[in-house]
Amino acid sequence: MLDVKGLRKEYGELVAVRDLYFQLHPGDVFGFIGPNGAGKTTTIKMLATLLEPTAGTATLNGIDIVRYPEEVRPLLGYMPDFFGLYEGITVTEYLEFFAAAYRIPKAQRAAIIENVLELTDLTVKKDAYVETLSRGMQQRLCLAKSLVHDPILLLLDEPASGLDPRARIEIKELIRELGAMGKIVLVSSHILPELADFCNKIGIIEKGELLVWGAVDEIVRQLQANRLLEIKPLGEQEPLIQRLEREPHVHGVEARNGSLYVHFAGGLEEQADLLAALVRDGYRIATFREESLDLEDVFMRITKGEVS
Amino acid sequence: MKPRAENPLLWYQLFGLTRNRWRRQPLLYGALVASAALTYLLVFQLIAYNDASLGTALNFGLFAICLFAPLMAYNLFSLEYEKQTWESLALTRLSAREILWGKWGAALVRLALLTLAFVPMTLITIDLVGTQVYATVAGWLVLFSWGALLTTLGMWLSFKLKRTISTASTLYAGQVFALLLFPLLYLTFGSWDTGIQSISFLQNHWEGFLWWVGSLFDARFVVHLNPFYVNSQLGWIAQERPWTGWSDDTVSYLKGLYYLNWGYTQSFLYLALAMLFAGLTYRGLKYAWRK
Repeated sequence: MLDVKGLRKEYGELVAVRDLYFQLHPGDVFGFIGPNGAGKTTTIKMLATLLEPTAGTATLNGIDIVRYPEEVRPLLGYMPDFFGLYEGITVTEYLEFFAAAYRIPKAQRAAIIENVLELTDLTVKKDAYVETLSRGMQQRLCLAKSLVHDPILLLLDEPASGLDPRARIEIKELIRELGAMGKIVLVSSHILPELADFCNKIGIIEKGELLVWGAVDEIVRQLQANRLLEIKPLGEQEPLIQRLEREPHVHGVEARNGSLYVHFAGGLEEQADLLAALVRDGYRIATFREESLDLEDVFMRITKGEVS
Repeated sequence: MKPRAENPLLWYQLFGLTRNRWRRQPLLYGALVASAALTYLLVFQLIAYNDASLGTALNFGLFAICLFAPLMAYNLFSLEYEKQTWESLALTRLSAREILWGKWGAALVRLALLTLAFVPMTLITIDLVGTQVYATVAGWLVLFSWGALLTTLGMWLSFKLKRTISTASTLYAGQVFALLLFPLLYLTFGSWDTGIQSISFLQNHWEGFLWWVGSLFDARFVVHLNPFYVNSQLGWIAQERPWTGWSDDTVSYLKGLYYLNWGYTQSFLYLALAMLFAGLTYRGLKYAWRK
């Protein structure tokens, strides 16, 4: 388990990361969301033991990352946002280099490298020189390198940045698979649709402050105290607006693009009753549906667009 | 240092970086090797046919080391920063010592090979002018230790400056200042007095040691530590003992050089400075990479 306890980083007067608290369990894929400069990379670097926090700490399986960085490092895999690869060697040699550097016994290396190549879909490129790989393949190789020692925590900083759509989909699939393998995956991005597909938990950071974190559904439910209903009537809208405003659970009606957007405080029962009442009153309804919040809506509602 | 059977970084620095490039660009690297071999043979012949002294042969080697030793170290760490690979390396289980040894060791191995290339050149001067073992070994040590100082300084600079081009320019510009401009400035304003004449009065090694201690507080130290100057004096020592037929002044001067452990002392100082920079790099790794 990863337990982050009051992690804070200051650079002089500037507070880059402000007292973060969150917990992640095996199998969690945590989307770390925030605008550029919000403190995502600083947080990840602190968790990766590359940067010493000003205050607070985190434990990985009970080991303090600040006090015992050398003990934690074999348990984590890290893929930075900007990364390079050792050139002049083949993909297999590159992975052998890291396997040796992580002290994996020689006898086990070949099998591990084969598995990792298969997982990252790089088997066909195992004899290719590292510098000849495409950006997407290099990204996968960097991930493969982070997996050779079988870490329990994966820190992926903007893993899909600079990739073409196909490579993005492939890396998403891979991250999903890693979560299914029981690893804790912390993946940062400022591109929300990227994360929406495969994260079961999210944290939104702005100006160094973790504004909200938890399961995606839970956060959406918290933010959606008022349901937003889209009603598209056939015929004139004005009489329907007046009718809706008389309803006790309706808190407001907006007309946009031929539809009415109704802020509705009732539950599913009341929602069904409303539809039945409108039909009974003779209104012809072409569309009646609940607008659900997606990650972008959540992000826009929570953040103010500030950087630290 | 805890011995380790396997250091992947040392392997990569020694072979991994270049092994495949040789295969992929055989013409380019073939031409480079041929040019180096031709230049080597030319210099070799120049020494042989001109009855060059040991000092001259050593200074040929020293010139090459001043030129090539920085190339062995100027990007050892800066490339890690420029290519953004240092974080991945820092997170491995390689200790700071292993990382340092992987990089520095590779540079020292290359330097040792370069120094060895100049051994035949110095050996041919034995037959020509009767070089002594004392001066020859001291000369080899000066070559290697000066190169070790350059590579270690280069390694530390590349760690601190984090830029290859800044490291390279600092190393070369630094050599011009240290080897040429400072001694010239000193000699110009010091009436070309190297202070070396005072060594004629030395009677034993203890007095030689005291002379070195005293010279630490003297600006002439920049001349006495200059490896080109060291080599030229080694050329003097390399005359046949017991310097028969020479004037008493010359003999006492040469004996003075001998009592100063000339060449060995400077080599020791270069190596001590190299160890200092290696220590600084190690400390930097411990602190900045949190190893």
